[in-house]
Parts: sequence; structure tokens; C-alpha cells
Amino acid sequence: MSSLLTPELLRRLEQLQLLAARRAKSSARGERRSRARGQSVEFADYRNYVAGDDFRYIDWNLYGRLDRLFLKLYEEERELPVRIFLDASESMAFGEPRKFDFARQVAAAVGYVALSGFDRVSVIPFPAMGDSQGEPAIRNAELAARSALRSVRGKKSSIQFFQNLGSLNATGSADLNDALRRGALEARHSGLAVVLSDFLDPAGYEAGLNALVGRGFHVDIVQILAPEELTPTVFGDLKLVDSETGGEQEVTFGKYRLKVYQQAVQNYIQRLREFCQVRGINFFSAASNTSLEDLLLRQLRKSEVWT
Amino acid sequence: MNFLAPIAAVFAAAIPVVILFYLLKRKRVVRLVPSTVLWQKFLAETQASAPFQRLRKNWLLFLQILLLLLAVFALMRPYFAAKIKPAQLRVIILDSSASMQARDELPSRFEKARTEALSWIDGLANNDQMVILQAGANTEVRQSATGEKATLRRALQGCSPSDGPTRLVPALRMAESLVRDQRDAEIHLFSDGAVPDLSEFENKALPLIFHRVGKQGNNVGLIALDVRSNPEDPKQRAIYTSVGNYSTNSQVTRMQVFLDDRPVESRVLTIPAGESSPQVVLAPQEADGIFTVRLDEQDDLAVDNQASIVSRLPRPARVLLVSRGNRLLERALRSVENVQLMTATQYAESGDSFDFVVLDGVTPTVWPKCNVLAFNVLNTNWVPAVTRVEGPPIVDWKSTHPLLRYVGFDNVQVTAANVARAPSWAVSLVEAPQASLMLAGEIGRQRLVWIGFDPLESNWPLRISFPIFIANAVEWLNPANAAQGHSLVQAGDAYRLPLLQPEPSATVTYPGGATRTLQLDAKANEFVFGDTAKSGIYRVRLGTNETAFCVNLLNAAESNIQPRNELTFGAYTKVAATTLRRANLELWRTIAWIGLLVLLFEWWYYHRRTA
Repeated sequence: MSSLLTPELLRRLEQLQLLAARRAKSSARGERRSRARGQSVEFADYRNYVAGDDFRYIDWNLYGRLDRLFLKLYEEERELPVRIFLDASESMAFGEPRKFDFARQVAAAVGYVALSGFDRVSVIPFPAMGDSQGEPAIRNAELAARSALRSVRGKKSSIQFFQNLGSLNATGSADLNDALRRGALEARHSGLAVVLSDFLDPAGYEAGLNALVGRGFHVDIVQILAPEELTPTVFGDLKLVDSETGGEQEVTFGKYRLKVYQQAVQNYIQRLREFCQVRGINFFSAASNTSLEDLLLRQLRKSEVWT
Repeated sequence: MNFLAPIAAVFAAAIPVVILFYLLKRKRVVRLVPSTVLWQKFLAETQASAPFQRLRKNWLLFLQILLLLLAVFALMRPYFAAKIKPAQLRVIILDSSASMQARDELPSRFEKARTEALSWIDGLANNDQMVILQAGANTEVRQSATGEKATLRRALQGCSPSDGPTRLVPALRMAESLVRDQRDAEIHLFSDGAVPDLSEFENKALPLIFHRVGKQGNNVGLIALDVRSNPEDPKQRAIYTSVGNYSTNSQVTRMQVFLDDRPVESRVLTIPAGESSPQVVLAPQEADGIFTVRLDEQDDLAVDNQASIVSRLPRPARVLLVSRGNRLLERALRSVENVQLMTATQYAESGDSFDFVVLDGVTPTVWPKCNVLAFNVLNTNWVPAVTRVEGPPIVDWKSTHPLLRYVGFDNVQVTAANVARAPSWAVSLVEAPQASLMLAGEIGRQRLVWIGFDPLESNWPLRISFPIFIANAVEWLNPANAAQGHSLVQAGDAYRLPLLQPEPSATVTYPGGATRTLQLDAKANEFVFGDTAKSGIYRVRLGTNETAFCVNLLNAAESNIQPRNELTFGAYTKVAATTLRRANLELWRTIAWIGLLVLLFEWWYYHRRTA
């Protein structure tokens, strides 16, 4: 069915449903409760009859007792827009297995769960494609995939969804803050935002996440790091070149400083975690070689991203 | 603190070079990483494309500069000047006597003393000078005054211990003469203090510093050895020896006697602490040979555990009595064993060679060239000034001399006698208040006994002491016995052998087996060999004749190896052992050690930060 997810995993994902703390605000009908009043079986409230109202919704029992006309209101069920922000920058192309591959798998899983629940899924890979990037044929194919991923709905679209995800490439230099802010502004309705990135942007991540939260999104983030980033294996006098910015940094690194480095990484993760906790963001951190099932079926479930 | 080599400070110019190396950029391995965000903490170095970079705080640089500073500091050879004033001349006296071979200090006292003396050479200040004397049986100047440390070290390395006794007095006298007019001069004596009496050396103002070596004195040794005919059985030989115990507790030791490597006797001796045990061993002997006495003892000093003596069978002495008739004297001579006596009334040069001549009141026309026992004879060559005295009382006699062994003059009265002051060749044996009645000594190689009175003008021949004296005189004047005495040499002393005819060369075989051939002067009438530092049996080949002599320590003062804390000079002066070690406490070794540790730390640190 897909090279991203195994059939067994897909079967188990079908049983899950995304949980959103807030009521869906989409205008399109769906299967989520919303504040809007409309047609469903869930009773919501009464209101006085005004001329022109549909007689079918008058509560005749109440009229019999009170001799006044009341209208029964029902909850409108709407869809939940799920926006997946996928970091497709150069830095995601590192690691064994690649961080980008892992991120795509997570995106596919989240998207599949959302599609199964009749929610609308938007995958926003960032950075945006540059003009002179890659060969024209491949570039056009990827541009087509990106535009197809802007809005996907219905379980039947999932195969196409997976294929489009598979044709994405990680390249270029990303600006996380800009991508998230832009994504928050572009959305007509808030909903669920899932950010898949390594969060290793020199400009930081705070502004972007704040923009998402401020726009009313329920945000889940998964920080994906390569095993080499957690435990480096190269020592000596090194000149490190940043894959995205091209910035150089000279370090002298020995085994004895490994703990110091690991502590620094943990501190970085912890800072991000605390930032998320304050803002009610679900935070997950995973190395690209961790088991996908463990992340999806245990950690995310435990944190009630879905159930 | 001072510096011995301040010029080495120029090496400090290397420090800027080290800093320059750190200014140069290190070549680094280029590595592409996803992001450098995680490495911000390791931002120890900033980026620069120029070949030079700003100097940063780097512990390696500090360590290397510290290392360099230490090295320069050590090369400058700092020292703490002195617990004592720097002297201008130092005279080192290194005791090289047998007791310095004691092994209570490892490897030996001598090596310890040498090491200590070497440290004094190291501590010699730039313009100081040093003299090295080696004091064994003889004093040798190993190095005259110089400030050249390499030469001094070489001289000291060339010293070696001998098996001989210590004769410190000549060395001290030489040192005294060297420092006499020098200001601030010092004499450093490196010795164990096991030296004989120094009472003849009197100098209160001697700037002597006594460096004592040695810790203990656990030693049993042979201190006397002689061989004679057994008085009770002429066929047997009697070996007289004495074993001294200089340990602090009683010792049990086995003494073995060999005749030409053939065991003769073995006995176990128990000797109390500080005492000596005289031993007499009787042994039959058919031919001339060498007796060796050996102690099976593992003590600190090995040299004195063995001694040898050449034993020649007695030959009859040929004696000529020139007398107008003295039956008492004649009978006394005849009663001595092994004497062929001939009598004459006048001495004349004859073809017969005699071992010695007895002149009894007869003045010969030609004085004999052999040994002489002269009664009441006037010879101005021997005794220049003689006074005639009536009835001189005998007030003193020298009973330690071999001639007066067991001889007493208690009841001897003399009617009239010639008395004389002892000339330089002789010692006075019997004293009257005015002068000497009896003289004995050697002129050249001729032994003389001069007695100033006629025995018949005294009651001496009636006393038991007279025949004993005659027997002693026969033994002392017999040239064979004298040769016997000569063949027993104390280590360091010269061996002398009269030559009957001129020999062109002599070959000496040392105890170790080495040989040495010596060219002799055609006119020489005596062979003198002085290279007797090692004890053992030496063999001399002169033409077709071969003879042996034995070199032994046999010195009680030397066997008593107990180190002394104090040396006594003369009646009043005492010099205590010093605790000084070296003049200048040089620090470069310590600094070099610290430098090594810093180097090791730097190495470890470097590998730790990159490995």
C-alpha cells in the first residue's frame, strides 16, 4: 500500500482518532463537534421561534405545556483541519536513517489517522521550492506533489497522499519561524497543527510556535534528531560546516567532552520542552532510529494526541 | 637563590616561538554537520580565514610555556647558596684504606664516599678550586688544584680502594701545606674514621670537615700472623696468629690453616665482642712453603679474613766469634740451635762468608760487611761520640724490641761502660741515666747491635737473660730470618729484596694472575717493589730464581671498622663528623622532575581533548 508505513501499522492506525481539545472551527461539515448550530442528532439548545424558521424543529411538546413556540437547536458537526508542518530543509537530510524519512513517516501516520477520521489534512513542507532547484522534471513533479498536499480529504485519498509525501525532497535552508507564522496566517480556520522538525534553526523557533498558538491552533510537535547528533562519533580538531547556513565553526572535540556535549543537547531539548509546556503544546522528541510504532502507538497515544 | 649558568636564560627566547605556533591556525578536519546550533557550547574558536588568529585562552599553551620555563630554569642551574661560606680552595681527602671496602654501606663505603665527594664537585662554585688526595697506605695527589669539574670527576673516578692501612697523617700534612696561606680554604675528609692514632698530628686551626661514611662495624679479622720453628719440636713449625672480633656481640667463626693449599688445621673459635683471640697452630713442614690462614666469615669486611705467610725452613746460621776468650759468650752462642760457630782472635777479610760476626772487645782492622754483634767496640762510623762512665745503673730497657724479648735487666750491674747517644740509624735498647748502653739498627742493609760494655765487666752473663738475649740476637741477626720478615709485607708498603748479582729485569706475578715485567738498573743492589695495594701472594722471578712474598692487611686499627664520630688530633683537637652534604643545594634535578611531570600531564591533556 505504501512504502512509508507498513500495512500492519496502517491497520492499527485506522482504529485511532485524533483528539482536539477545542471545538472544530472549520466551515465544512465533518464528524467533529463544533460550536456551530446545524443538523445533527446531538441536541444543543432551544431558542424562541421567529417567523421563517423551519417548522420541523419546533418542539411541539413544549408548545403543549407552555403554549409558546420554541425551536430545538442541534450541534453542527464540522471537520477538523489538520496542518502538518514538515521541515524539508537540508539539515533533515542527515542521519542514518535520515531524519526526513522519519518525519515523512510520522506525517503519513498523522495524515492517515486524520483522513480516516474524515478530517482535512494539509501538509506544508518548508522551505518553499526555489526557482532554480533541481532538474525541471523532478522539480515539476515535486511542485505538483506539494500543491496536491495543500488539501487532502477522505480516506480514499490516502494512497495519493502517501505518494505525494514520498516525492518530497529535503533541500535548501529553512526559516522555521517564518514558515510557521505564514502557515498560521494562511489558515482560514484554526485546528490541529503538527510540526515535524529538528528545531535546529539558528533563528530559533519561539516566534513561529507562538504564532500558531496565538492563532488558536492545537499544536503537537515532534523534534527529530539524528543519532549522530545525540552521540557524535568524530573527534579531534574539526572545522564544522553548517549544512544550511554554510557557517563554519572550529571546535576541538575529545571523548572526554562527550558528556558535556550530550548535556548541551539535553539542555537544548529541555528548553524546547519547557517552552512547549508553558504554551500547552504537546512535545515529543525522537531520534531518527527510534521505533515508529513506539512513537505513534505508545508515546502519542499516551499524550492523548489521538486515541 | 643564585644561578650557576645564568646564560641559559637565552633559551627563554623560545617562548615567543611557542606563542607564534599558537597564533598560526591549526589544520582541521572539515566536517559537514546538519546544524552548528548544538555546538554553540564548544565555540572555543572563532572563524578566521587569515593564517594568523587571535590568541585565545588555551590550557595547552599555558602548560607548554610552563614546561619551557621550567626547562630554562633548570638549565640556568639555580642553587641555594650554602649553609657554609663558599670556599676558594677545597682539598678532598678520600680515604682508600682497606676498611673503606666494608659493605655495610652498599655497594661499599668507598663508593658512598666517592659519590658524596662527587656531589661536592657538582656543588663547586665557578671560581673555586679543588684538590683531590687519595689517602691509603701512601698519599697520592690524584688531582692538583683546578676548577675544571670534568677533570675533578675523572680524577675521583680513577681512585680505587686498596687493601692497605690508613695513613692519614701524611695526607693531612699535605693538605695542611696546601691550605696554609689560603683564605677560606677547607679540607674535606671522606673517611669512616677507622684510622690509627693521630696524636702525632697537632693542628688546632686546621679547617677540616670530616664526612663520615659507614653505619656499623660487624667484622672479624686476622690482625697478626707469624711463623717460627716450634721451640719444643724443631721439626714442626708454629704459626702464631691473632683473630680480633670488632663486632658488638660475640662471634663464632671457623679458622682454617692451609700449607700451599693443603689443609693443615681447622678449628672453631668463639671470640667475645671487642676482644682478640691469639692462636698457635703447629704443623709439620718438609719444604719451604706458604701458610694461609682463612676465616669462614661473612662479615662486612672481607679483606682481613685471609692472610698468608711465606715459611722457609731454618738454615743453620754461620757465626764467627772474634774474641780474646769469653767462654760464657761462646757457650751461650753454642747453646743456640742451628748455629755453626767459628772462633777467631782477630777479624780478617776472608773468603768465608758468615751470616754474622760477633766482635767481643776486638777492634778489627777491616770492619765486616755482614751483620755484627759488637761488645765494647769503638767505631766512630757507628757511634760518633762515646763517653766512658763508671758503674752506670740500668734505668730502662725496651722490652718490646725483638732483641729484648723475655730479657730483663733487673739484677744486672755494670762496672764500667761506654755510653752513647742513639745515632739516627739505631734505637736505644738499654738506657743508663747518661745515655744508651745498647743500640740496635740497620746501616744500609747491615744490621748492627752495639753494646757499650764487656759482659765480663758485668754480672749479666750470670743472669738467665743473657743466653736468651744471645738467642734473640742470633735470630735477629740471621739474614735468613730478616728475609723471612721482608717476605711479609703490609699492603701498600714496599717489598725489598737484596740482589746478589745485577739482574736486567724482574717479573712480578700479582695475586690475580696478572704479570708485570720491570726493568732494573744495572747498578741496583736491591729490588724494590711498591705496587702492593692488593693483598695476596706475589711471586717475583729474577733471572732463574723465583721467590714469593705475601701482602696482608694485618692491622688491628683497620680491622676495627666501627665508624667513628670523632677524630682526635694530638692532645687537644677533636673534629666531629659533619652532617653537611654539599655546598650548594642545586635545584635543577627537582625542577627537571617537575618538568617531566608537567610534560606527562600535557601529553595526557592533549590526547584527552582530541582522542
